[in-house]
Amino acid sequence: MTMNRTIETDSQEAFIEEIEKVQDVLPKRIDANPKNVEKGLAKLVLTLVELIRKLLEKQAMRRIEGGSLSEEEIEQMGETLLKLENKMQELKEIFGLKDEELNLNLGPLGDLM
Amino acid sequence: MVIYTYGVIDSKDTIDETIFGLEGVGVHNVSYRDIGVAVSELRQKLQEITDADVLKHEEVIETLMTKFTVLPIRLSTIFNTKENLLSMAELYYEDFKDNLARLHNKAEFGIKVIWSADTIKQRIIDAYQKTKHNVSISSESPAKTFVKEKFEKHIIDKEFQEEANRCIAVVDDYFNKIACEKKLKRLQTENLLLNASYLVDKQRQNEFRQAFEQLKNTPGDLKFLFSGPWPCYNFVTLTRKPASVDYFNTEDMLNRLLAQQGLAQERNSV
Repeated sequence: MTMNRTIETDSQEAFIEEIEKVQDVLPKRIDANPKNVEKGLAKLVLTLVELIRKLLEKQAMRRIEGGSLSEEEIEQMGETLLKLENKMQELKEIFGLKDEELNLNLGPLGDLM
Repeated sequence: MVIYTYGVIDSKDTIDETIFGLEGVGVHNVSYRDIGVAVSELRQKLQEITDADVLKHEEVIETLMTKFTVLPIRLSTIFNTKENLLSMAELYYEDFKDNLARLHNKAEFGIKVIWSADTIKQRIIDAYQKTKHNVSISSESPAKTFVKEKFEKHIIDKEFQEEANRCIAVVDDYFNKIACEKKLKRLQTENLLLNASYLVDKQRQNEFRQAFEQLKNTPGDLKFLFSGPWPCYNFVTLTRKPASVDYFNTEDMLNRLLAQQGLAQERNSV
């Protein structure tokens, strides 16, 4: 080392653990080699569907928070969100994907979700 | 033969000092107009990047920094011919000049902060249970029960994010006035509250360090990691983005170095 560096912490184990988590979170690209192209594509598509589902859910929660939904509307929205979540769960199981895999690294913009 | 690159430097002259780079090959300067690219000519493309390669790449950049302003290039960036390398230099020349001027006499420092996400969430949940939100949703059907659970999670997440923003603002306040530029990454994991890089004028390094001393002595449950000075891995900005490989995307370098070398050394010395 030529720069007279200081690295200082009283919790090195905790930081190593978190840094390793950041490094291991996700592959940088969708893995779409010929052997698992189906899974690679499913991952890409389901990631986008999951993004839209989460946006819908967030928007719905904001509307509830704002008090702009009637009991009937909450019921309808709940049914829709519940069905959507169950369907996503089903698809994830079919393609053997975990929640944490449904993400994309957008380089300097960070992760999609 | 391939050309392995370490960094762009603010000199077109021969590098006087003998520097050995990857595979023990000497480092020399390939000049373009009034700047240059520090390179080693390797027999072939590296099959994989080992920990030793990461450290060697870093060591070369740091050695160069003792004499030049350096724009670090991403690990394992190679060019097949000198012509290709010079084309890249020509394409980015204006960007390189701007960055070399901006990063002259500057160094990067890292500040990482860990909090206990579970403790914070529990605190928020306890507060939520006491006050409840003014929106009441009945649990008369599975759909409404589902919405109710989602809504509670939404409120807790929102408060968690706001608490994170408050804590980050407090931490950042210690360094903001001293640093020239900063990059703050929040909540990369639930516990890693802040992963910040600060660009600091070399004249103000001690001031920056003192600010950290003050911060770490403040009461609270936060854990801190200070590191630096480092080459400016997070502050090279190009207006023209490369079509394929982003040669200057070196953001992961600090984490790699900390995980492989800095923290491991720290751990061994305890």
